[in-house]
Amino acid sequence: MTATLPETAHQQTDKADKYARLIQPTRVHGSLYTDPEVFAEELERIWYRTWVYVGHESEVRRPGDYVRKNIGPQDVVMTRDRDGEVHLLLNRCAHRGNLVCDAPSGNSNSFRCPYHGWTYRNNGDLLGYPYNKGYGGKGKLALGLGRLPRVASYQGFVFGSFASDGPTLTEHLGAAAGELDRLARLSPEGEVELTAGWLKHRTRANWKLLAENETDGYHPQFVHGSIFSVTGSPIGALYSDNSTAVTRDLGGGHSENDLRPEFRRFGEPMRWFGTTEDRVPQYVARMRELHGPAAEEILVEGSPHVMIFPNLFIAEIQLFVIQPLAAGECVQHATAIQLKGAPELNRRMVSQCVGSAGPAGMLLADDTEMYERNQRGVALREPEWVDIRRGVDRERTDDNGFRIGTATDETGMRGFWSHYRNLMEA
Amino acid sequence: MNGNEIVGSEFAEVAVSVDTTANGPRLRLEDRRTGRVRHLDALELEALVWLPDGHLSRLLDPSADRWREDAGS
Repeated sequence: MTATLPETAHQQTDKADKYARLIQPTRVHGSLYTDPEVFAEELERIWYRTWVYVGHESEVRRPGDYVRKNIGPQDVVMTRDRDGEVHLLLNRCAHRGNLVCDAPSGNSNSFRCPYHGWTYRNNGDLLGYPYNKGYGGKGKLALGLGRLPRVASYQGFVFGSFASDGPTLTEHLGAAAGELDRLARLSPEGEVELTAGWLKHRTRANWKLLAENETDGYHPQFVHGSIFSVTGSPIGALYSDNSTAVTRDLGGGHSENDLRPEFRRFGEPMRWFGTTEDRVPQYVARMRELHGPAAEEILVEGSPHVMIFPNLFIAEIQLFVIQPLAAGECVQHATAIQLKGAPELNRRMVSQCVGSAGPAGMLLADDTEMYERNQRGVALREPEWVDIRRGVDRERTDDNGFRIGTATDETGMRGFWSHYRNLMEA
Repeated sequence: MNGNEIVGSEFAEVAVSVDTTANGPRLRLEDRRTGRVRHLDALELEALVWLPDGHLSRLLDPSADRWREDAGS
């Protein structure tokens, strides 16, 4: 990482003032999306400090498995060692800084840098280097690959933090952990698998436009009108004034569109999946066998629609990871969710994901068009502010103490910005 | 010669087959990057299976046997 000078108290106060000015309860300043200095501060205060989603344990199922991942611009290798422990290593040789791993994934218990042959164990330890007399012999260098000091997982979702201290992953996830539980319980074996492969979309927009949009229930009827009309999808109605669905600020910058009230109203198993139970008979039978009467609730309520701060978005049947690269550039990584023991659902989830987020997909392309137009728009000089007031006067507190708005309100965005401001002022 | 599979990664590539031309079968390993070949008999393979991980790691040290000032590479 780049060395930076310690901040003086004066600089810190300036920063707090700056973000207090730019982030107000019902509007945020356009420069937050375009200013390279803001982006540099985000890297230090958010991406290189809080817990960030990196990968899933199912992507490194066997000892020796590794996959290339990232945290913002940082190239991370997720590995599983012989003892089964998962590590997050920085893909940088301790010798000259070359990238050590090149393949997107593989199986190797050790990694050899292609530049001078320095070799590392898959836990990051330096194993050796060629012609060692030049260093006084074997084992003379106290060097290794960079490691994320904290790695933790929840329901197989692996998160990393560049900070040695701070809130635990459980504290970071808070109520969002329950959404991961809800996803996992849809598997007859209680396990999510991210094994369908990844689509990557480079997007000329600031990462926050995406994070805000993920639980924005105001846009689907406009932006996704064409896919809803050609497919006869009932999703549009979930995000209308008549919908009983709610937008919930889960705290910690996390938010969800809770569609369960609508699904409960219909009480039809698998409606959340856009199908009926007779189309996926083995799955439904297995869930009923496993859960008894409790299966009905699971089959009716379905999968979550949740944005986990700052980069993990679970959209019922698919999952997106947001990777920021610059103020005006990010990559969206997308994959179909796979549920262990549910082949009927898994096949459909792959085709649905391809249909919505694939190269000719009809959902993500619409969103991305909006992100990129939005990025150009917020760079214009007037009217300076982005408005996030929708539904502020009709927000309520639910039985669990969370702020909720209607299906189309900007409650999730307000929660995002409140948490963002806390982190940026810290 | 039975089969000829490649065990490869971005770090190494080795062709693997069972050579049956001798009086008993041997594993034939060919380093595809240099063409160097080694045969391993059953007892040698069993010894590999029983190598402690730490010992195997020591063999992975580039200076252990291959890239040494006092050895040809």
